[in-house]
Amino acid sequence: MTEIGRILMVEDDPNDVELTLTALAEYNLANEVVVTRDGAEALDYLYCRGSFATRVGDNPAVLLLDLKLPKVDGLQVLQQIKSDEKLRMIPVVVLTSSREERDMVASYRLGVNAYVVKPVDFHEFVNAIKELGIFWAVINQAPPGSIRKGGLG
Amino acid sequence: MSSVVRRYGFAVGSVAMALGIALLAQSQAIHKLEFPLLLMAIAVTVWHAGVAPGIVAVVLAGLGFNYFFTEPLYTLYIEPSDRPVFVIFVLFAIVIASFSARRRRIEGELRQARDELRAEVAERTQQASLLDLTHDTIFVRDMSDVISYWNRGAEELYGWKAEQAIGQRSPQLLQTVYPVPLDEVHAELVRAGRWEGELDRMRADGTRIAVACRLALGRDERQQPVAILETSNDITERRRREQEVRALNHDLAKRTTELQATNKELEAFAYSISHDLRAPLRHTVGYTELLQRHAAARLDDKSRRFMTLILEAAKRMGNLIDDLLAFSRIGRAETRKTMVSLEALVNEVLHEVRPETEGRDIAWTVGALPEVYGDRSMLRLALVNLVSNAVKFSRTRSQAKIEIGCTEGQGDETAVFVRDNGVGFDMKYGDKLFGVFQRLHPTEAFEGTGIGLATVQRIVHRHGGRVWAEGVVDGGATFYFSVPKSGWEPNA
Repeated sequence: MTEIGRILMVEDDPNDVELTLTALAEYNLANEVVVTRDGAEALDYLYCRGSFATRVGDNPAVLLLDLKLPKVDGLQVLQQIKSDEKLRMIPVVVLTSSREERDMVASYRLGVNAYVVKPVDFHEFVNAIKELGIFWAVINQAPPGSIRKGGLG
Repeated sequence: MSSVVRRYGFAVGSVAMALGIALLAQSQAIHKLEFPLLLMAIAVTVWHAGVAPGIVAVVLAGLGFNYFFTEPLYTLYIEPSDRPVFVIFVLFAIVIASFSARRRRIEGELRQARDELRAEVAERTQQASLLDLTHDTIFVRDMSDVISYWNRGAEELYGWKAEQAIGQRSPQLLQTVYPVPLDEVHAELVRAGRWEGELDRMRADGTRIAVACRLALGRDERQQPVAILETSNDITERRRREQEVRALNHDLAKRTTELQATNKELEAFAYSISHDLRAPLRHTVGYTELLQRHAAARLDDKSRRFMTLILEAAKRMGNLIDDLLAFSRIGRAETRKTMVSLEALVNEVLHEVRPETEGRDIAWTVGALPEVYGDRSMLRLALVNLVSNAVKFSRTRSQAKIEIGCTEGQGDETAVFVRDNGVGFDMKYGDKLFGVFQRLHPTEAFEGTGIGLATVQRIVHRHGGRVWAEGVVDGGATFYFSVPKSGWEPNA
């Protein structure tokens, strides 16, 4: 039985959330996905505060981060994570509509682990999500202290 | 030599004449005339012939006086009683001779001084007239600003004649406005010996002019300041141009700011398109495909076709957005210019378009291509667009011919062309080719967003070059672009 790491997804667009979850579901990766709808909520999750005050304090295996978010935007979340001793090891994948070079450069400057532009084509989108999910949640050895659980039959 | 003979002869002659007249007078019973006559002869000799003939005259006169007029007569013996008279005569003669000699010497010195002065005046006059030759404005004023010299250049610049200006005080005559108080100018002059600055002055006709002026202080032997030499030239026109340039720069800065603001807005606009327009499109495509997957079995052919159309339309929209963003990025991105080998670039481009040429029979001709100064990735994009256009619009030919080469452009530019034997175009619509979203063929015939040539044009314009095209309907098309050889940068 292969272990699946928990995926924390930060995405404000419900359509994107549903499409992403659908894509992940096709490969049985959807169960361990936590969805937060803005940057503030994502940070709440990571710091176990607010509505996540009661959760067990392990880090996700990977963070799928949209850049354009209400309240606290993606780059701010990224900056916070990479400057926090406890969180900086979490692999962060920026998953965005933006092909803009400055977003890409800013993300890599802040130490992002991967930068993926959401493909318009649904097949490509599904493939991208699937590969991301499999790579980061299954193939990649997540840093110690991540939530993992059996799955993927 | 003859002048020596003449001078001593004069001495002998004048003494002999005095003796003759005295003897003649004595024979006429006029006595005591010899004394003044001989003294006069000595004086005249010294005066006219100089000191040495004067001494000869004194000796001759003494001997003559002794011989002819003192007892015993006609001997050189002198009675003791007459000796004082003779001695007085000789002494008196010597005194007269020495006075005359001194007088003569002083007169000589005076004459020499006068000659020197005359020569100096001549030299100065010549120098002054030379100063008149220059077009520079030169005038001299004394320490109370009274003008003492005024050259022709000054007449021309200020409109006052020398005779009008000399004797006037220059600040009043020229209504001079100094950039600093006049006292400071004078203090600087005395301290450093010179002063430079720009002044406002008034010409004789009342017009105001600006002059660049250099002052130099003249001192006498005791180092006392005596005069100020001023050279100046008219900078009115220069100053007017400077003001124009300043005004233009100001406008330019304002416009640059406006442009920057506009650019920023455009950037924000493009950014928001990039994010916000793509998301709903992705959702449309995504959910349509999901629908296709879930419901395809239950749908009839017509409905399935509708879904296919929805997907195609959405994908085309996606391509449009991508092309538009790329197009806008070219306008915003900074160009990074280096020397670019077009030959290497064309090879890369041919490699890149290879997938589009599969199953096609294309005869490629690539001529010699130069190096140009430009942004490599932008030029590459331009070439990709042109070459893939040539591939696309020649696909109706059983054998397509595509030629890439270089021609001499107008003047200082390198022109590159891409020629095909494809469907061509009507030159009537030539000016529409390079516009955004302008298409001369229906989408069913030739796919595309209508941004490719607009992108080419924008890239070439950013390099300071031109784009143009030649074509015949169903007779092929040639697209040209030029890049300046000198590496001129319009907005880098």
